[in-house]
Amino acid sequence: MLITELKSKEEILSLAGEKAFIINCLGCKEIYFPEKEAKELQKELSDAGRVTGILTTDYICNPDNMKLRLQAYLEQIEEADTVLVFSCGVGVQTVADFLEDKKVCAACDTIRLPGFQGVTPTEVDCGQCGECYLNLTGGICPITACSKSLVNGPCGGTKDGKCEVDPSMECGWERIYRRLEKLGRLDVLRFPTQMHDFSTDEVTKECKES
Amino acid sequence: MNYTKYALKDNEELKSLLASSDDLFVVACNKCFKEFETVNEPDCDTFVQLASEQGRKITGTVKVDFLCNKLLTEKKLKDMIPEGTKNVAVISCGLGIQTVAELEEVPVLAAANTLNYTGNHGMALTEKTCGACAQCYLNLTGGICPVVDCSKGLLNGQCGGAKDGKCEVDPKKDCAWEKIYQRLEKQGRQKEFLEEPVQLRDYSRVDVKAISEYVKKIRDVRLSGYNGGAHPEENKELAENLPLKKFPEPETVVIPLSMHVGKPAVPVVKAGDTVKLGQKIAEADGFVSSNIHSSVSGTVVAVEPRKHPNRGMVESIVIRSDGKNTTDESVRPNKPLEELSPEEIVDIVKEKGITGMGGAGFPTFIKLKPGKPIDTVLLNGCECEPYLTADHRVLLEYADDVIYGLKAIMKAVDAPKGIIVIEDNKPDAIALLQSRTEGLDNIEVQTVRTKYPQGAEKTLIKNVLKRLVPSGGLPADVGTVVDNVSTAVAISDAIQKGMPLVERAVSVTGEHIANPGNYMVKIGTSVKALIDYCGGITGEDVTVKMGGPMMGFPLTDEEVPVIKGTNGVIAIDTDHTKEEECIKCGRCVDVCPMELAPLNFAKYVKEGDAQALLDNHIRDCFECGCCQYICSSKIPLVERIRTGKKMIMEVK
Amino acid sequence: MKITDLFERGEFAVSAEVGPPKGIHIEEMIEDAKKYLGGVDAINVTDCQSSVMRVGSLAVCKELKDAGMNPIFQLACRDRNRIALESDLLSAAMFGIDNVLALTGDHTKMGDHPQAKPVFDLDSVSLLHTMCVLESGKDLGGNDLVGEPPKFAKGAVVSPCSDSVDAQLVKMEKKIEAGAEFFQTQAVFDSEKFIRFMERAKQFGKPVMLGIIIPKSAGMCKFMNNNVAGISVPDSILEELKADKEKTKAGITGVEIAARIIRECKPYCQGVHIMSLGWESKIPSLLEQSGLAR
Repeated sequence: MLITELKSKEEILSLAGEKAFIINCLGCKEIYFPEKEAKELQKELSDAGRVTGILTTDYICNPDNMKLRLQAYLEQIEEADTVLVFSCGVGVQTVADFLEDKKVCAACDTIRLPGFQGVTPTEVDCGQCGECYLNLTGGICPITACSKSLVNGPCGGTKDGKCEVDPSMECGWERIYRRLEKLGRLDVLRFPTQMHDFSTDEVTKECKES
Repeated sequence: MNYTKYALKDNEELKSLLASSDDLFVVACNKCFKEFETVNEPDCDTFVQLASEQGRKITGTVKVDFLCNKLLTEKKLKDMIPEGTKNVAVISCGLGIQTVAELEEVPVLAAANTLNYTGNHGMALTEKTCGACAQCYLNLTGGICPVVDCSKGLLNGQCGGAKDGKCEVDPKKDCAWEKIYQRLEKQGRQKEFLEEPVQLRDYSRVDVKAISEYVKKIRDVRLSGYNGGAHPEENKELAENLPLKKFPEPETVVIPLSMHVGKPAVPVVKAGDTVKLGQKIAEADGFVSSNIHSSVSGTVVAVEPRKHPNRGMVESIVIRSDGKNTTDESVRPNKPLEELSPEEIVDIVKEKGITGMGGAGFPTFIKLKPGKPIDTVLLNGCECEPYLTADHRVLLEYADDVIYGLKAIMKAVDAPKGIIVIEDNKPDAIALLQSRTEGLDNIEVQTVRTKYPQGAEKTLIKNVLKRLVPSGGLPADVGTVVDNVSTAVAISDAIQKGMPLVERAVSVTGEHIANPGNYMVKIGTSVKALIDYCGGITGEDVTVKMGGPMMGFPLTDEEVPVIKGTNGVIAIDTDHTKEEECIKCGRCVDVCPMELAPLNFAKYVKEGDAQALLDNHIRDCFECGCCQYICSSKIPLVERIRTGKKMIMEVK
Repeated sequence: MKITDLFERGEFAVSAEVGPPKGIHIEEMIEDAKKYLGGVDAINVTDCQSSVMRVGSLAVCKELKDAGMNPIFQLACRDRNRIALESDLLSAAMFGIDNVLALTGDHTKMGDHPQAKPVFDLDSVSLLHTMCVLESGKDLGGNDLVGEPPKFAKGAVVSPCSDSVDAQLVKMEKKIEAGAEFFQTQAVFDSEKFIRFMERAKQFGKPVMLGIIIPKSAGMCKFMNNNVAGISVPDSILEELKADKEKTKAGITGVEIAARIIRECKPYCQGVHIMSLGWESKIPSLLEQSGLAR
């Protein structure tokens, strides 16, 4: 799941150029979209006469429906120097592909949220590492639950059971230890030294192609 | 295109896992983000077979949709794991495995590896992905992502490894920077690119803490009161501050005999008859039906089929108004509420043709005879549908009648308590009702979060009273009655003035109505007259709907009458999209307030599987439209669900 | 010289630590080491400690070695992937630097370049394993090394006063399985805690060097209590440091405390590792007072 936050106002204003056409994607709004801030900023641009049109829609990452919807706005897009897209990076790329001759700009930065399904962001997260470690860790993911993604146990940075990077975050390995202790399975931790294999994207490619 | 998220671990690893575990229960997730091929997709078979070969006992298997949805998974797996199970093997991505592991009942075996994608995909099945780097570079690169599309994630231009425009890492892949140069050249932007300062990635931009706090917050919103729901753009500012005005007297009214749930009423007048305002012109037929009264004084010109807003041609009484509004003799005040018995209240409500005014149009008197003890009456002033502001204005302008009506309902059902529920986007109405109910011990005003469908009966009860109406049950089963605020005003009018339900508050709004407004409109007034009076429709490509955008229905013909359940007429942009294949993104499951899986209903309808529809509780769906609103493939899910419900009726 | 040789001979080993500067002038550091660290068996050189960028650990080790001292090369996984780690290990061996302390490293966000990409391709455990692989004449990619393989004295760290000692012990065991031959500990201020820890750790049979910081002031100790993982300074020590400010400022109290901790813990461990944090000049008197002077 992806969420977005607005780039700085100065940056967006400079990206907009003289005349901009604006596209808002509310497809993932139920998860997050800085709707209010975006509206305010667009009103400001609009009041300054720098907007040729605004299309507020959803799922612009869907190329077919995005095309259908953009048809009605081609003139306004033509008038603009820049198409300013308020969406995640996937949406911006889809629009940029469709409007190949136009300067298409991203007004937002995109951040990944835990849980990459369409459903509500979850407390559990998966790093899509390609070599699931959950069997060694009582079902708590060391890739995402540990700031350093350590796979052989905790680092020395734990303080009061919290992570050195973020004292409000529990140490992932502390959680793993407690979970296994509770299940009476501490012996599981006697796994051989693990090394992360970063080349598993080949497997992914195969699965996608098959 | 397919974003299948996991693959079974290889045999060697599975064998070594199985060596130390036995008595396995197998849970497999039905894969998401791929075309929806069959209902039960993944196969536990390979794993089960391997386990059997290793001499392991399988205590059971189950296939689940969206295993990562903790709320639903917890319910589904509850009591499902057979006794004697020592391990649960999970075939899923890491999210599903962790979700099951969190239940912490028995040790969990991860039987699959999650596939390693570069980048995160959007909601559609496209090739495009996004690295979610928190510092979008697309502005510098002509909209091609250097973080994901370049194997090295280079930000400052091409490396020396490109050969024939292909990447050194994968000769099948285009060099991203080659593509970027071409696009920038096409747009004449190379110079702009050359002038860009050196780019350095800031890896601290992804603020883990902020994200985890955000996730917590959003989960609270999603689960507050009831599961899911949605926040469509409200657009209430178009009309919320415009006071209710009396709509000019219509020349002719067309009053359908069917404006309620149940059998159509039977006319008691005929063409040529003279009728008065408030005179009964049609009588309820049987128990579930409703009386109908004239909204004008004048002459009946016809009793004939006329176009109904959503029921096709319906027998209707057409009356030409004489403009005098001569009141019928039957319209006279009743005894004060204190002196009325509960039975008398129910009789008045029945006689005066009051039906639910929130939209559905269920005869109100039936609700007032629940036959079960009621402890709380909920008066619904949420008006959670976008655009609509009629109930909001009623609360502001008829506050005392609302409270009077509530008292009458409470007396009729002998409820010790009444709660007026209002969404937090109407602070003025909340303040007013609070001040008007001050000193009333048995009536309170409760504010709820603005979230659609907050005002639906079952979600309202769950949220406010924390009670769950059983599947197929009624609010009375959990000791409550829910009525709309406009219905309460109609009850107040019926008791205090003796006036039947002959007019109601209607919002005429939407960005394509020239002059939006809120009006008290006589039943039978034509929608066209309403729109014309508001300056007509502006712009092109407009959809006119009766009701709100979520549950309202589109009008192909504006020459249809306002009926008892008409809370608004809206003119909004037509959305041009085409339906695509379901990709199992799971959004509909996430927003469904009844915790159903709408995507499966569409699937079962297509397959003609009525039994599966029943088994998956299609009848619990009250057609709020959240699933359709959120659908990333634009599937008309509500329509499919209605078809499904009809299929069940036919099978029976 | 491998520090492990001392343990094999049953000797009580002493090491100290120097932190390279942010810059290219290390002459003063080398002079100080010559002046004050004559009495120790080996000198750790930190590797961009606390994620603060400094001159390289390996280069400083080489300088120390050339000046006649015995360095321990600290190697953190934060800043290099496995290719760079293996390469640096070979470089160290080439210089004859054969003591290596494997560390995961603080997170990049803790230091002066929070924008940097945290690598953590390997961690301390897999780095120890990597040393064993190199010693076998192979690299992690399964390729053969040319000629005689390197040989390391493989060290690791452990945090005896951590509030999650259980998890620490598991990790210690994993490090040993991966090849750790000796341990240096996080600074100890509470002898009892350390002794309790050693009672559990002695089953592993690996030498442990007691970590020592000479406390400079009550303020410094409070800061460590609040901010440094695995360090807990008991109230009694805070009181001691507050009692005579002048004496504390002169380092007399600190050295007394540190020497006492060493004397109390010595029977339970196989060596001492002194993190002087700029007080290298106090090391001779500390060794004197704790009975370790030669």
